[in-house]
Amino acid sequence: MAFLIRRGSKKYPYITARVRAMKSKLIPKEVYPKLMNMDIPEITRLIGESEYKQDVDELAQRYSGLDLLEHALNQNLARTYRKLLRVSQDEPNFLITEYLRHWDIWNIKTILRGKYYGAPAQEILDAVVAAGQLGYRELTSIANMESIDDIKTALTHSPYYAAIAEYEGGELSVIENELDRIYYSRLLASIGKSKGEKLSLKYIRTEIDLKNLKTLFRTKKAGLEKDEILNLVIPGGMELKSGDLKRLSSLSWPDFLKGLEDYSYWSDISEVVREDMASLMDVEAVLDKYAMGYATRISHYYPLSILPIYDYMLRKNNEINNIRTIVRGKKVKLPDEIIRKHLVM
Amino acid sequence: MAVQDIKPTRSELIELKRKIKLSESGHKILKMKRDGLILEFFEVLEKAKSVRAELDADFDVATEKINIAKAVEGVVTVRSTAFSFKDAPQLVVESKNVMGVVVPKIESSSVRKSLNERGYGIIGTSSRIDEAADAYEILVEKIILAAEIETTIKKLLDEIEKTKRRVNALEFKVIPELIEARNFIILRLDEMERENTFRLKRIKS
Repeated sequence: MAFLIRRGSKKYPYITARVRAMKSKLIPKEVYPKLMNMDIPEITRLIGESEYKQDVDELAQRYSGLDLLEHALNQNLARTYRKLLRVSQDEPNFLITEYLRHWDIWNIKTILRGKYYGAPAQEILDAVVAAGQLGYRELTSIANMESIDDIKTALTHSPYYAAIAEYEGGELSVIENELDRIYYSRLLASIGKSKGEKLSLKYIRTEIDLKNLKTLFRTKKAGLEKDEILNLVIPGGMELKSGDLKRLSSLSWPDFLKGLEDYSYWSDISEVVREDMASLMDVEAVLDKYAMGYATRISHYYPLSILPIYDYMLRKNNEINNIRTIVRGKKVKLPDEIIRKHLVM
Repeated sequence: MAVQDIKPTRSELIELKRKIKLSESGHKILKMKRDGLILEFFEVLEKAKSVRAELDADFDVATEKINIAKAVEGVVTVRSTAFSFKDAPQLVVESKNVMGVVVPKIESSSVRKSLNERGYGIIGTSSRIDEAADAYEILVEKIILAAEIETTIKKLLDEIEKTKRRVNALEFKVIPELIEARNFIILRLDEMERENTFRLKRIKS
């Protein structure tokens, strides 16, 4: 995969300075406990008067209540990511674009699922988040297409075509997994060889490890066979290399848990991993916190690189998730302990 | 049957005696059926109580799981993932006989699915979605079981009520009326016999 972009760190001082300024506007982690003690009207008022005001105002005619809040949060996320693309140039712009393709893939998956189900276009569009390369207008035109075949034709020249070309009807899970694999293979290929970029590569490969770990936990717990599991993992991880994935996927559940002790992630997950655990939510929450902590840590090593930008994008996404978790959790009267467990700070 | 409508003849008396015998044996059988149905009802009731308790518990678990998924992943994500499910569970309703009462037997297929059969990609989703889907699959299975048992209970109750009404009608209406008619005919025949004897004696004298 060849990418013709202007490499080098010259463009980073400006964008990283902008990102630092944007990061200062994120909700500090000390505020979350206060949010936890507030009622829903207090939280929504606070959100309505903050960075999210414009988005809440814009969407107030279409949605109401918590749906309005959730769509406003998503729109703000999309707006923030588009701003990053706007203020960046050359290499950072290219790397941000590649990183944000995650959202394109998410939206394509949503549209394909909606078409497969036979949902109306508006209902599908309510579930897309235009935070990637594909804008809302393009997503609308794709969602308005008659069939999955039409969508296939429309995406012929996109990087995602390879995943959907073979689709001839039926369940979409194979395509969805393939789209995710294409995303990470492009992301890995997009990063160059300079010192800063090596750290970026390390970050992406760690992210792949964390994804693979979650997949391994879920598939092992569900009792899937080795071959089925290997079709679901993403190659290119940092510690969990191809041989490790083969070995771990062939082990029984107790041996698999024991096998994880050989990896650095074990120190973080060991507290929540038990052989008889009924839910994997705690493990996933710990891995999400690990990803956040790792992104912050590594971004300090090389401040003039893509790493602080990745860190910011992750933090912004977490902020959205945290606000939604608190508000929706309070609305449905989830115990504070459960809400707190799922907050990534 | 009003007493005045009865023809006081010997053939009518024989017919009534046959009817009384039949009614009494019918009454006995229906009483046995009623008692049997009540026993069966209490057995199914115990089962229904435990299934209902399990259903309530499963509903609470499913609600909590979907609430966590909606809160942490977002309603947008849950809705998008839900589009992946298209197949509705297949139900086959057969019937079975419990002491003459036809009750449904519901067989369900394709409710529980393994992780890789749910239609959504594993890499792009999370265990919160898996656990919500899992909890709802269990809940749907339990709803089908509860539907079978609770319909059985309703049908048994209807049948018990019907049988009770028949038993009571036989015991307090049909059999007493037949006995009354029989007694009336016996009385009338005796009287006719006496009248006849008296008439014969008068002719003789």
